[in-house]
Amino acid sequence: MRCDWVHGYWVHWQWVRCEKGFGMSVNAWIVVGDQPAIGNLITVARSLGGDGTIAAVVAGPRAVAETVAASGVDRVVWCGTPDGSPAEASAPAVAEAVAADPPRVVLGGRNPGDRVLLGAAAAALHAAVLTGARSVTVGADTVTVVNAVYGDISDETVEISGPVALLLDGGSVPAASGAGVPIEEVTATPYGVKVLETIPSEFEEVDLNAAQRVIGVGRGLKAKEDLSLIEALAAALKAEIACSRPVAEGLNWMGKDRYIGSSGARISPQLYLAVGISGQLQHMVGVTGAETIVAINSDPNAAVFAQTDYGLVGDLYELVAEITSVLK
Amino acid sequence: MKIVVAYKWTSDPEEATVGADGVVNWSRARPGISTYDPVAIEVARGLAAATSAELIGVTVGAKGVGTPLAAKAALSRGLDRAVIVEDDSLKGAGQAELAAVVAAVVRRIGDVDLVITGDSSVDVAAKMVPTVLAGELGWPAVAEVTDVTGQPGALRVGRAVPGGAQVLEISGPAVLATSADATTPHVPGMKDLLAAGKKPVEHVDLAALDVPASSAVMTITGRARPARKERKHQLLDTSDPAEAAAELVKALREVGAL
Repeated sequence: MRCDWVHGYWVHWQWVRCEKGFGMSVNAWIVVGDQPAIGNLITVARSLGGDGTIAAVVAGPRAVAETVAASGVDRVVWCGTPDGSPAEASAPAVAEAVAADPPRVVLGGRNPGDRVLLGAAAAALHAAVLTGARSVTVGADTVTVVNAVYGDISDETVEISGPVALLLDGGSVPAASGAGVPIEEVTATPYGVKVLETIPSEFEEVDLNAAQRVIGVGRGLKAKEDLSLIEALAAALKAEIACSRPVAEGLNWMGKDRYIGSSGARISPQLYLAVGISGQLQHMVGVTGAETIVAINSDPNAAVFAQTDYGLVGDLYELVAEITSVLK
Repeated sequence: MKIVVAYKWTSDPEEATVGADGVVNWSRARPGISTYDPVAIEVARGLAAATSAELIGVTVGAKGVGTPLAAKAALSRGLDRAVIVEDDSLKGAGQAELAAVVAAVVRRIGDVDLVITGDSSVDVAAKMVPTVLAGELGWPAVAEVTDVTGQPGALRVGRAVPGGAQVLEISGPAVLATSADATTPHVPGMKDLLAAGKKPVEHVDLAALDVPASSAVMTITGRARPARKERKHQLLDTSDPAEAAAELVKALREVGAL
């Protein structure tokens, strides 16, 4: 049994149970775009059991293929980098590689490019697609997935006969292990997609999963300038600042990697402090794993209070300033 | 020139309830156009207007997705016509199955230059239908699209990527999934609703479509309501904010959160 971070939960992976005994071969493919952040995918693939191989197909730069080749996988196929093309342009090569050696399970991470590659592989295999896997058990003829659905309000146990594509949190960049495997280069006619321009974000990138304490800002905050109040609290708490979806998309006060929720980041910090957040299901599903949840909201009927350890009904400006001064 | 917008008619799980057995009860939820799909329609409308393209809405799903009310709600947002596959065998269909049916509709419509979708559905939020759809069609897919200009065949596509943004040029047909904040969709007025009632709606039989057989058969063998961490639900007295703050910090220190 092992413990892994999957879909916002620490879960016990215990599926190294080959129902027909040892020697069963469970082949898995991992699809990789231009980021080698696939540590969790490797852990999951390895846990599938048997003596099957883990192969990775990389549609990003050679450096990504090199990182993946040194990560402990059994095989690496690299699609090359067609001139000036994004990873998505290599979807045909990815689909071809996966279909040429069909797996029981194909895994991909959640970033936009990886999703496209996983979709191409799934279509080529006519595979089932699941996006909320909490655990996977591989049997002789079927794969059983406990899959969180509808904003994680229900867990469905799904039995699949045939190939299955799983979209999972990619995890961190895997550490080098051993001598690595050779990189096999393949080619296929890429799609006609070219990058004309790349514009760096005005916002600093953040890994919310690395933070022990996180403050979530919602639309209760009236103006972007008022973020300085939150920044002061974050400094006093040694916390990262995150937000609800509209604050990053729409208001554009922060980078998209800072919004929490069913389609954003899912975090499990020691402390989550929701400031001016109403507590919609789509947001709160991203913090169900938090050890302690605190909410500050002026509306006593806000849904957030039903999902917290400590609730403070009142003016967030006043309360945040007071908490900051107590911490100092 | 034809642009298809694939939209979903569904309910928000926020309005659903879950029994102790994990069964989701949607009876109190009011279905509508999935939250981010009006963004896709608006982006597509803009491109269709600029390129004199026909804008066709496509939706597939269980009974209810093709009612006159549902069709009008989509058409009033600026579609020229709609093609709908309404079949109860699609109830609870997975991403791959929905994508395969949408792909079959796109092929049936014929000569489609571009498919535009929303960011994710409000119920499932998987973000996989557009990518599997592209795979089924043999077209490239790009997600997190913020704007689209140019002509089908030479599209200029802005999209968000981790750490910034990119401008892409796409030379053939493609599937584009718009970002949730690509634009602010307009709210249809009475005139739009009246006009929507006169627009053509084609209902297509699922059996009449050429949907490739899936290699995977999915069976749901169990359901459970996920165990949630017990919360304290302690409301602190905030009549004196300074005292409330001190009490909170003390409580957080006691539980080891600080």
